[in-house]
Amino acid sequence: MNRQEFENKNASDWQTFELQLGSSESKKPTLDGHKVPSRFRKICYDLSLAQYRMFGHRICDRLNGLAIRGYRQIHRKRGAFGEGAIRFFLGTFPAAFRREWRLFAVVSFVFWVPFFAMWWSADQEIEWVQALLGPESMSSIEGMYGKDADSVEHLRQEHGSNFMMFAHYINNNVGIDFRLFAGGIFFGIGTLFFLIYNGLYFGAVVGYVEYAGEPELLWKFVAGHSSFELLGMLVVGMAGLKMGFALLAPGQLSRGDALTRAGRDGLPLLIGGACMTAMAAVVEGFWSAQPISTSTKYAVGIAFWVLHLLYFVLVGRGYRGA
Amino acid sequence: MAVPKRRIDTLQTVELAEGMEIHLRTAGPFLRFVAWIIDLVVEMIALMVLNLVINLIFPVMGGNVSEGIFLLTFFVIWWFYHVIFEISPWGATVGKRALGLRVVNEAGGGITIGASMIRNFIRGVELMIPFAPLFVFFNPRFQRLGDLAAGTLVVYSRPRIDPVIPGPPPLNKVPVNLSLSREEEAAILSFRYRSGGWSEARRMELANHVERMTGEVGPKGVSKLMGMAHWLEEQR
Repeated sequence: MNRQEFENKNASDWQTFELQLGSSESKKPTLDGHKVPSRFRKICYDLSLAQYRMFGHRICDRLNGLAIRGYRQIHRKRGAFGEGAIRFFLGTFPAAFRREWRLFAVVSFVFWVPFFAMWWSADQEIEWVQALLGPESMSSIEGMYGKDADSVEHLRQEHGSNFMMFAHYINNNVGIDFRLFAGGIFFGIGTLFFLIYNGLYFGAVVGYVEYAGEPELLWKFVAGHSSFELLGMLVVGMAGLKMGFALLAPGQLSRGDALTRAGRDGLPLLIGGACMTAMAAVVEGFWSAQPISTSTKYAVGIAFWVLHLLYFVLVGRGYRGA
Repeated sequence: MAVPKRRIDTLQTVELAEGMEIHLRTAGPFLRFVAWIIDLVVEMIALMVLNLVINLIFPVMGGNVSEGIFLLTFFVIWWFYHVIFEISPWGATVGKRALGLRVVNEAGGGITIGASMIRNFIRGVELMIPFAPLFVFFNPRFQRLGDLAAGTLVVYSRPRIDPVIPGPPPLNKVPVNLSLSREEEAAILSFRYRSGGWSEARRMELANHVERMTGEVGPKGVSKLMGMAHWLEEQR
């Protein structure tokens, strides 16, 4: 069979398939949708034959294009969003966290050591803390948690200010998460930098409030959202460091392949951690500044920490990824 | 077509589970750069429109609420403009769509939201590392670091159909006495089917490359090569 015969014999099949693709891509219902797979197989067969017999660019390119479009139609994913989210939070995410527990140890070390070092240094010699914070931060901290501060609760009396702060925390903190993750592409240095810097900064804030302010005001404000925010940041940091380690020590893979794999394996940590930070913004915006007794706030804060511990240790055990 | 180890074009061969090979045409750095510039302009316009809308609702909803809406919308545009468009049925941002490009996974299918987030979030850091954007020139598939981490490619969304402009019909058939590889046969056939679009000088230039096969140069080489193509065609 030469090219002309091949084309004459099959051209009508190709045209039918092309028309069908056109209608299913534009989401109009077609009567013979069930015939797509068999027609797609025919295209695959014709393409292989045309490639093998070298029937020329014109036929091969046309069939190649049809095959790609058909592949996209057949393999498109239309999963239910709700089901996917439940599966993610009850299985994929905590399982990915446990699989990468070593990275959690690393990021915790990198964050908490600077944090406590800075806090401790405030007791010894306040100048380190003052140098890191700078005058503007210090005066704003005194404004919020100082001895004669207007309490945060008072500042939030204005109409819509809770929503505004919620939006601010989303924009700022989730944005920091995304940068923290992306920084991992530079051999993990970007991720490490942000983690260490945040550790130092938070430690400095705590140290400065103990030195010059009213620690109770700070603790009762941060208690509720602390677990979501700090753990969310650390979990995203795990995803970033995973990429960094893949580039530094790719093992038996090429660096490119190792990076691809690290991106895929770290993805649940990025999404899950970002969701935790978004949740922190909800709590911080609508709960943390409410005029509620200190002991209630501490109790809620501790409860959230315990729930996080239980979640990461217990949820989704025995889950086999889909 | 059989695929040699080193190719002279940018086609990517992908073997699908259906037991066949397809060819994806990866897009080069220049086109992608232009698409990125277009997207920057679109993002700027979106932010300007946002600003306008916020100014309009400011008197109605009050300062705090409108600032909150501004921050949330800004967040979505800033971080998710590329992501939303890339996971849409277009598979491409406005700039890529305008240039006929598409983001696909390594099998040529649409990408997931996660892959899109990875490749777009990394872009910001990539632009800050000295020389990292140049990495794209050294990757055979023109992947930048974000593409590698996400396992994605940027390809032309439609196959390019080469115009078939056959040269003047050959007068004679010239039998080929050598055993040719399949690639070589294909090259001779496509010479015939594209030669109508070239000047006579260009045809001679190309035909001179196979002087050892035809034994002729210049116009005679061209007509002999045409005859060989005709013969090969008839053989099938």
